[in-house]
Amino acid sequence: MIGPAAVDLSLELPRGLRLDNPILVASGTFGYGVEYSEVVDIQRLGAICCKGTTLHARVGNRPPRVTETPAGMLNSIGLQNPGVDAVVRKYGPTWQGWHVPVIVNVAGESIDDYVEVAKRLDGVPGVAGIELNISCPNVGKGGLQFAIDAEAAGAVTAAVRRATELPLLVKLSPNVADIRPIARAIEAAGADAISAINTLSGIAVAPGRRRPLLGNVYGGLSGPAIKPVALRIVYEVAQVVDIPIIAIGGVAELGDVLDYLAVGAVAVQVGTVLFADPTLPVRLIDELADECRRLGLDSYLPLVGTALPKRSSPRSASSAKGVEYRP
Amino acid sequence: MQLVAAELVESREILPGQWLQAFHAPALTVGSRAGQFVHIRPGDFSGLILRRPFSFNTVDRTTGVITIHFRAVGRGTAWFTRLRPGDRVDMLGPLGRPFEVDPRSRHLLLIAGGLGIAGVRMLVDDALRAGREVTLLFGAASAVEVYPSNLLPDEVEYVVATDDGSLGHSGYVTDLVPAYEAWADQAFACGPAPMLATLARLAAGRSARLGVARLGPKPGRGAGRSGGAARAALPGSPAARRKSFLQVSMEQNMGCAVGACLGCVVMDTSGVPQRVCREGPVFASDELDWEGGW
Ligand SMILES: Cc1cc2nc3c(=O)[nH]c(=O)nc-3n(C[C@H](O)[C@H](O)[C@H](O)COP(=O)(O)O)c2cc1C
Ligand code: FES
Repeated sequence: MIGPAAVDLSLELPRGLRLDNPILVASGTFGYGVEYSEVVDIQRLGAICCKGTTLHARVGNRPPRVTETPAGMLNSIGLQNPGVDAVVRKYGPTWQGWHVPVIVNVAGESIDDYVEVAKRLDGVPGVAGIELNISCPNVGKGGLQFAIDAEAAGAVTAAVRRATELPLLVKLSPNVADIRPIARAIEAAGADAISAINTLSGIAVAPGRRRPLLGNVYGGLSGPAIKPVALRIVYEVAQVVDIPIIAIGGVAELGDVLDYLAVGAVAVQVGTVLFADPTLPVRLIDELADECRRLGLDSYLPLVGTALPKRSSPRSASSAKGVEYRP
Repeated sequence: MQLVAAELVESREILPGQWLQAFHAPALTVGSRAGQFVHIRPGDFSGLILRRPFSFNTVDRTTGVITIHFRAVGRGTAWFTRLRPGDRVDMLGPLGRPFEVDPRSRHLLLIAGGLGIAGVRMLVDDALRAGREVTLLFGAASAVEVYPSNLLPDEVEYVVATDDGSLGHSGYVTDLVPAYEAWADQAFACGPAPMLATLARLAAGRSARLGVARLGPKPGRGAGRSGGAARAALPGSPAARRKSFLQVSMEQNMGCAVGACLGCVVMDTSGVPQRVCREGPVFASDELDWEGGW
């Protein structure tokens, strides 16, 4: 058997977050990791990002909540979740027994919300890290999303950074005019990594055409349809920050993984395509190892950033912060 | 739950735009129960990104063949109609929770609206095999859409209603229900949401009038759910379904179909979202909020 053993796919993220490989599963598409375990060897995954978790339980949006779109889907789940304490109680012990790291995706409506959730996750066995979903309305700022405002994005990142020692990923929204100042603010505020992207805002019309289809009217577009947008955002962010980037958006085959690596991501998350093909992430791990072997590489890291414009001068000092994720 | 490559053995249009397809999928015939479903992946060359859920229409354990019945309404279902014998599709199943027939039930009333027949069809076979009597009330817009009686076992009492009166009772299938109310020990329905809502109201009235006396009384239990009943039978539990006069098979748009995405919910009477793919698709009618307008 050509095993992945010959190639080292492991990835060292800041604060000791070590992944066996760079293929993760995206928040909201893989539940709490347990749902797919009958058909997926979940322990092989690089990491599992769990469903968005808030301080208090949320019932979520009115149905219908999902609909298919060309090469994608819209969802408006509305962050239905039982609240951080229930999540920790219900899944913490299970996660603790797992080899695969679980990263808890955190959402909130105020900086205090995020901070409180982070505090309650800090030190919980089985929680390997936090991913901040900042595509949420900031009640303190008239409902403006944290994700679209560099100052708010930086502020929430900094506050959570102070509240926890856990590895901290911050997830970008694509629904902004210029992503770069936001990414810089997040890096400056102490994030360990950036994940990009969350869904694009969209709507669909109901059959009969008398109203929008989704119960919440607005939904988030995901799937292969958004890949070019996600690629562009990773490409732009990779040129302005030094912290590692985890790419998300329509990953459906090895070529997508290689594209994201080429524009500067060190890892990817698989989301929507999982619904059609739950075994895809595990297959991608093997295919990435095979690809490295074919290229005569013993690590995939030389594939990172190959399509980025050449930098005129090495960004020396700052790269000490991260890991060696860029050639 | 497993992923299997199922081979199409037969595909035919049994009614205008309605297809019956048979697949060889022995692994899925073992342990599958009426009310459960499979999530099937369309070919990925056409930009279709989600699987499509289909009820087990029939399951034959001796031949290893399952059938599905659907209407070609969109690009996804149209894709399925182009499958040819020998083609393989990727099926995930069995999924969801089944109908629960009380062991004491002798008389089962099944109510189907249009394509909803696919949701209760397997229960017809199971019930007859177990020696129960089955009456199937079927409603459609007009005669051309009426499910062919030659696709049903002879032992079933099959009663048809059409909206335009072109066959059987002229009017809604729900009009037929009161005549069977006293006869039936349990009722099982699948169809359009307004039909199910009407049936749920009728069932609540029946409970108030007759109780579920034949199958063991529930003292003081009216149309709503008493605290005691709620504790004894959590929403989605087999007990909750078995104890309810009417069980309904719900439809909702789905993503994962394994309970991971929370995309497929319907609301229960306490405003808590219930996943059709996990707590359902079969619910006790008195568990769900029929007035919510969602
Ligand atoms: C049904 C569904 C639910 C999601 N829920 C969350 C969530 O709770 N938190 C979050 O940060 N992202 C959530 N997302 C976004 C995904 O994690 C991911 O960023 C996005 O779908 C793009 O990746 P994809 O194209 O591979 O799906 C959700 C996506 C889907 C489809
Ligand atoms: S379809 Fe994903 S939870 Fe039901």
